[in-house]
Amino acid sequence: MAALKNGGAGLESLRPIPASTQLLAVAWLRWRIFANSIFRRRRATARHAAGIVLAIILRIILWPFLALMVVGPVAGSGFWAWATIAHGRAQSLPILLAGITIGWQFVAINGLSIAAAVANLDPASLIRFPLRFGRYFVLRTLIGIMTPSTVVGCLSSLAAAIGIGVARPGLAVPALAVMAVYAAMNVFLTRMMGAWMERWLANRRFREVFNVLIALFAAGLQLLNVQRFAPRVPRGPHSALFSFFQGGSATLHWLPPGFAANAILHAWHGLPSPLPFAGLAASTLLFAAIFAVRLRKQFLGEYLSESAAPRRAAKRGPRGKAAAQEEIDRPARALAAFPPITAACLRKEWLIFRGNSAQLVGLITPLIFVAILNRGQLAAHPALFLPGAIAYVLTGALAGLYNIFGADGLGVQIYLLAPIRMRDVIVAKNIAALVLTVTEAVLAWALVSFLKRAPIPAATQISTAFWTVFVILANVTLGTIRSIQAPRKFVPGQARQRRGTPTNRTSGLLILFVLLGSVALQIPVAWLCWHFHQPWLAVWIFAPLAAAAAAVYGLLLHNAERLIMAHRDVLAEELCKV
Amino acid sequence: MTTPAIETIALSRRFGDFSAVRDVDLHVAAGQFFGFLGPNGAGKSTTIKMLTGLLAPTSGSIRILGEDFAANSAEIKRQIGVVPEGMALFGRLTADEYLRFVGRMYGLDRATTRQRTRELLEFMQLADEEGKLVADFSHGMQKKLALAAAVIHGPKVLFLDEPFEGVDAVAAGTLKAMLQRMIARGATVFLTSHVLEIVERLCTHVAIIHRGQLVAQGSLDELRAGGGRLGQAVEAPAFASGRARTLEEIFLEIVGADREGNPAATAPEQELSWLR
Repeated sequence: MAALKNGGAGLESLRPIPASTQLLAVAWLRWRIFANSIFRRRRATARHAAGIVLAIILRIILWPFLALMVVGPVAGSGFWAWATIAHGRAQSLPILLAGITIGWQFVAINGLSIAAAVANLDPASLIRFPLRFGRYFVLRTLIGIMTPSTVVGCLSSLAAAIGIGVARPGLAVPALAVMAVYAAMNVFLTRMMGAWMERWLANRRFREVFNVLIALFAAGLQLLNVQRFAPRVPRGPHSALFSFFQGGSATLHWLPPGFAANAILHAWHGLPSPLPFAGLAASTLLFAAIFAVRLRKQFLGEYLSESAAPRRAAKRGPRGKAAAQEEIDRPARALAAFPPITAACLRKEWLIFRGNSAQLVGLITPLIFVAILNRGQLAAHPALFLPGAIAYVLTGALAGLYNIFGADGLGVQIYLLAPIRMRDVIVAKNIAALVLTVTEAVLAWALVSFLKRAPIPAATQISTAFWTVFVILANVTLGTIRSIQAPRKFVPGQARQRRGTPTNRTSGLLILFVLLGSVALQIPVAWLCWHFHQPWLAVWIFAPLAAAAAAVYGLLLHNAERLIMAHRDVLAEELCKV
Repeated sequence: MTTPAIETIALSRRFGDFSAVRDVDLHVAAGQFFGFLGPNGAGKSTTIKMLTGLLAPTSGSIRILGEDFAANSAEIKRQIGVVPEGMALFGRLTADEYLRFVGRMYGLDRATTRQRTRELLEFMQLADEEGKLVADFSHGMQKKLALAAAVIHGPKVLFLDEPFEGVDAVAAGTLKAMLQRMIARGATVFLTSHVLEIVERLCTHVAIIHRGQLVAQGSLDELRAGGGRLGQAVEAPAFASGRARTLEEIFLEIVGADREGNPAATAPEQELSWLR
């Protein structure tokens, strides 16, 4: 045991650990985690081969789009910066830099869970090692820095500096220096916001408010977009969107984008630029300092959870206990019509849904988008817009159907062990998911009918109703099969969970293909109706399809026990792992 | 007087309005095999987290090897090894990679890290699992790896939170042998366990925490003689057979007592309706 050579109490004066040793060790750790997640598969089986093939196909499909998402902002920044200097439009430079920061921060905030999933390493866990705070700060700044937001943001900053340098070669060096500090400012701003949001998101109330804010922000962007392209709003430089940014440009001069732009512009006009550059440097240091304050607390062993809350239940008086009992009894009475197992499962699903405000916000947001999109060009064609709007709101709602056991986790063992028919459990879970899905579809329908800009023919409404039934039942059937064959453990409503979505990639693709296929089905049907001048033909096509989907679902329920028994090892292995 | 390995003064931790640990004064001498016991939710893991720097105390102070933890956390962390409650392993590494990473983080040079990694993997019977990710290890294998990581740098104080939980008899024997060797070399071991037989067999000194407060502390002999109780002096019940009381009996007697110090009822007062 060569490891056990020290003895006796008291701290020895040990040789300090070089910073490079620990920093390189963490870099090596990140590399090994990355390499292992690519080259070492957990328990590789034949089933994984299909997954790998699908993943490759998915990447081939997605990479051009992802590349465009990188190339677009980078090329745009470079061109905008070049045009600003080459055409003497100095007032545009702060707007460009503000755009880079807004895009950078927005993507970073939305990508928190993605970053956590990609990192597969909780940097806070490093506090158990003998690190000094300075090294911990450096590590926390660097770990996970290769996120899409940072890569695109840094490349956009570099492109802007190159654009300025191309337009006026004498500005190349100052522009590069300023943009480097600007990129550092953005990195610390992202880190600062991430660290503080992690603190706040530990509070459930804040999580709820945050979800609503993100939804409203996303809806607000859509609204701006529609305003920009609405026919009655003047286009070009006088549009609402452009005026919005121009109005804010005076304020921008007192913010980091203004500091950075002025530092470059001062250099252009041969003016001394210590003040704007100092402002930029001060902002960078300020963000770094606020980030450090938060990190320091984590480093000293801060606790972020909300474990004190359950104690309150114990302090409830007799009246509180009666109210709590009533809370339990009320849904039980409402579910009396169902078989006992189904009713019990439905009650459990309701309790989980009630505590998951993120899901609620996720259901409301698409409806807001439908209301906004109703101002667009497509809304003038209700025969297409109505099914389109329903398909759009269903995209998110259907995900829950593809992993009905995911939120049960270890609890799935109860279903497998208890002397119950699994069909009752599946029916309960499908009913719970269907209530949400159907509600979402009905609300979207009502919204389109209420906001309609052209009358919706009765034939369209009835055929859309059958089409919706077909789509939902087809997804319920496929979703239930996928839930049994490829379950995925997840914690509803948990912030920063390593798996950000309730479904796996294959199921996500399947939902997309089924929905796209269903929407695509509308096109030949609409053409047939038009060609034969028979608007009711669509009803005669979709009604049998809906009936067939219902029959297939019934067949699935009939074989549910057999299917579950055949896949119980998959359910147990995936959902019961700790 | 030798410097104690672990010393806490009025150590407390609150979570909102809930006091998880209250005014705990621990004193663990160097070279002791110390058992830290308590029922579920008593505050054992919270105390270990505070002693190892994973959780900040609300008040009170911690001294490890005579040094204030808050002032010298990095130096103290070099001298301690920890097997925390959740083991905190990196599932996407192999055992070899994990130990090499931990060794480097504790400042061992590459050659020493490699050598100790090889020895520890052999000792823990994990050498055959080369190429297997930690996430695919069984619970017992993960425990053994966590313990290997905790000792790779030769710590003077070892904190083990439930080290034998989920470990088979063969692996438990390996772990016990290793801990005994550490003690023989002058290290201090501070462990929590619900398996009182193991604690009784391994530990020389014990502390019992109950509802966040330390209720007993002393050597096993002291506790058997009815001493070591903090706050309430309890008369040690005599056994007709004259045999020494087991740690389990002492434990039940202490943590089973109500707040006024009345002895615990030996059978539950309430019966389950369907088992009457």
